[in-house]
Amino acid sequence: MSEIQSTVKSYVLEEFLPGESPDAMDNSTPLISSGILDSLSTIKLVSFLEEQFNVQFEAHEISRENLDTLDLIAATVESKRHG
Amino acid sequence: MDFSFTPDQEALRDQILEFATRELTEGAIERDRGGVFPHDLWEKCGEMGLQGLPVPESHGGVGLDSLSTAIALEAFGYGCRDGGLAFAIGAHLLACVIPVWRHGSEELKERYLPGLSNGSLIAVNAITEPDSGSDAFAMKTRAVSVEGGFRIDGTKTFASNGPVADLAVVYAATDPDRGFLGGITAFLVEKGTPGFSVGQKFEKMGLRTAPLSELVFDDVFVPDDSVIGGVGGGGPIFNHSMEWERICLPAIHLGTMRHLLDRAVEQARTRKAFGQSIGKNQAISHRIADLKVRLEAARLLTYRSAERLETAGTVGLDASMTKLLVSESLVRSALDVVQIFGGYGYMDEYEVERILRDSIGSTIYSGTSEMQRNIIAGWLGL
Ligand SMILES: Cc1cc2nc3c(=O)[nH]c(=O)nc-3n(C[C@H](O)[C@H](O)[C@H](O)COP(=O)(O)OP(=O)(O)OC[C@H]3O[C@@H](n4cnc5c(N)ncnc54)[C@H](O)[C@@H]3O)c2cc1C
Repeated sequence: MSEIQSTVKSYVLEEFLPGESPDAMDNSTPLISSGILDSLSTIKLVSFLEEQFNVQFEAHEISRENLDTLDLIAATVESKRHG
Repeated sequence: MDFSFTPDQEALRDQILEFATRELTEGAIERDRGGVFPHDLWEKCGEMGLQGLPVPESHGGVGLDSLSTAIALEAFGYGCRDGGLAFAIGAHLLACVIPVWRHGSEELKERYLPGLSNGSLIAVNAITEPDSGSDAFAMKTRAVSVEGGFRIDGTKTFASNGPVADLAVVYAATDPDRGFLGGITAFLVEKGTPGFSVGQKFEKMGLRTAPLSELVFDDVFVPDDSVIGGVGGGGPIFNHSMEWERICLPAIHLGTMRHLLDRAVEQARTRKAFGQSIGKNQAISHRIADLKVRLEAARLLTYRSAERLETAGTVGLDASMTKLLVSESLVRSALDVVQIFGGYGYMDEYEVERILRDSIGSTIYSGTSEMQRNIIAGWLGL
């Protein structure tokens, strides 16, 4: 698991799934389409990503395509960091 | 932490207060009775730049930072006695101008921001529908992609400025299954676009000089370039505009609360009963002490949130706390001042019952108090 994935995983577990075992979540666990993240928690996640990784999201980029799994989140953050 | 204003902020506050007390104090009783929107005063406010306070000068605005915007709006609320006009300007600036400025394409900004900022255009924000208010993203209004643009179908309601607006910021579902995240798109629709019309106009308890109506979209074609900020971006764009609205409409309320305090002190010192001023009774003076405490606490939170609007990563929590505290304080204070005025407080010529009627909407629009508490609880991880 990359640094981005593990940082985001810790954040999601602590913030949105308190008490849940880390084993219950892997890099492809759906977060938005499963309902783990609702609109408010997705906005919280985005602000965490922006602060933690020094990136900026446009409104239309805050979407399931970009944020549904740890893999997608990592890919999105990576492309923003290097794009 | 420095709580003092800069000389520029003091000058701005004084200038707006001088303008508002000179131009915006007369005629509110009659306009309230008749439900008349003051077009002429809207234009005067436009000449002062009120509708475009934070918009960059390059786009026709005043170019203020967010804290200075709040300071200017408090002065406006303090001097302006027409609560409907103040609300109409707040709704226009915060829910319409902000999304165009912060999320619109350069072309949209060039086309609309100068007119929106100088008072020559009036805008309306349309998200609420007859069957979805607090649950705004359960909207039924649809925008279907067609050659060169979209076709919008649906009915919006409780749209402030609806009957007088030249331009609407409209939220429609472009991918209904997705809802808030990626499913909603914000569009700009001009008055006169075929199929776009004003529906029922509402009579209401307060804010009677701010006209409010349904807006009907019957197979309205809008070109691709009328999309604000990308297809699917409507949810976060609306959220962002609500952050501004939940912080800067309360700034206007601070001014109203300050006016209420002045009126209460004056009445308590001059009205006599049982051979002494009514203010000599602690039942009255303690109520007024509470008005002062509420105002100062509300101002601190509002200014801190206003400053954070442009310095913090996200201000969703600050915005909900500010909106909740200030709106509930406003209603409480207005009710107290009517009580302090006794029978006179109930009569429209004393102009405090109108402030009470105008204030009640503040715990409903921009998200109800209950929804603010839900959001705050959500930020606390509950
Ligand atoms: C003066 C005024 C101006 C307005 N201007 C505009 C405008 O310009 N544009 C626009 O689009 N809309 C506007 N609105 C609409 C406003 O945003 C809605 O009225 C508001 O969001 C509430 O929605 P609703 O009226 O459908 O009430 P509902 O959502 O039906 O709520 C009814 C009651 O249930 C409570 N409730 C609902 N869900 C929950 C929950 N999950 N938890 C706890 N309590 C809950 C609410 O707090 C409320 O007390 C305006 C409203 C007013 C009064």
